[in-house]
Amino acid sequence: MKSKIIKIVLAFVLIAIGVVAYLWFMPHRNVQSVDAYKTIDATELVNEFLANKEKANILYLDSEEGESKVLIVTGTVSKISKDQLGQYVLLLKKDADKMGVSCTFTLESNSQVAGIKIGDTVKVKGVIRSGAEYDEDLDLIENVIIEKSALIIN
Amino acid sequence: MKKLFIAVLLISISTTSFTQEKLKTTSGHIKFFSTTPAEDIEANNYKVTSNLTSSTGVVVFSVPMQSFEFKKALMQKHYNSKKFLNTKKFPKAKFKGNITNLSAINFFKDGSYTADVSGDLTIHGITKKVSEKMMFVVKNGTVTGTTTFNITLADYGIEFTKGKPSKNIAKDVKITAALNYSK
Repeated sequence: MKSKIIKIVLAFVLIAIGVVAYLWFMPHRNVQSVDAYKTIDATELVNEFLANKEKANILYLDSEEGESKVLIVTGTVSKISKDQLGQYVLLLKKDADKMGVSCTFTLESNSQVAGIKIGDTVKVKGVIRSGAEYDEDLDLIENVIIEKSALIIN
Repeated sequence: MKKLFIAVLLISISTTSFTQEKLKTTSGHIKFFSTTPAEDIEANNYKVTSNLTSSTGVVVFSVPMQSFEFKKALMQKHYNSKKFLNTKKFPKAKFKGNITNLSAINFFKDGSYTADVSGDLTIHGITKKVSEKMMFVVKNGTVTGTTTFNITLADYGIEFTKGKPSKNIAKDVKITAALNYSK
């Protein structure tokens, strides 16, 4: 009887340790392994935010855990740069548009950008972080921000 | 006479727009750091958009809140949730302010300058007046702005009274920013 109780207590302790370890070491979401919510043109995505910011935020951003929608964005590369972490950033924007979609790659997917030139049409998969906005008074241009990007090649 | 007046007006407008040099970045870095005896928490964000108008001293920041990356996935989830920053409802933190000692800074001459910046900081939908120091380093036409200051989370409606967060998250967190401006 006594050994049975010990076994049960031990099992509970192991489960508790397992749960704590899982929460502690829980990996970050792998954006590239998540099915994309939709494929959308860069201009169209920007315009959705400009037309109705609240509606677009509700549609694309996640409130519970910050795991917002994973999107595949198509567009023309208008700028190639690197951020302070050394991650490549492709700005997908038509010449006529004021704002675009800024896609930040990761140190792992950076090498995909090597062959990309300004003017290329690309398809980028990543997670949306925030929408486009334009403040006329301050002339502050805010692009749609996509991170954890990788190219979709086909 | 009227023509002369218009000509003078046009010239003055064109010179104004010429001297209204705008410095911009879309890849500023902001870090926040919280320390308690229980735990140190750090999160980094490399997607800060900022404009600085050198002639007027107007400084604007926009921080996409979901771009903060934590080491622990669970912590990042908590940070984004309704109980904490509610980043779906408040996806951006903003700052709009002015350099109040603009005459002490020359954005066109190499050197280090300390700016007094005052303005409105909006986090979690709550706006507060802040005044902080910002360092500017001008070198070969590039301008780097850095600043470090503390914010009290309760001022922005982020409060934890019980449970683990009240022990593990500091009441005041340290913010460090590095902005790489270009023309």
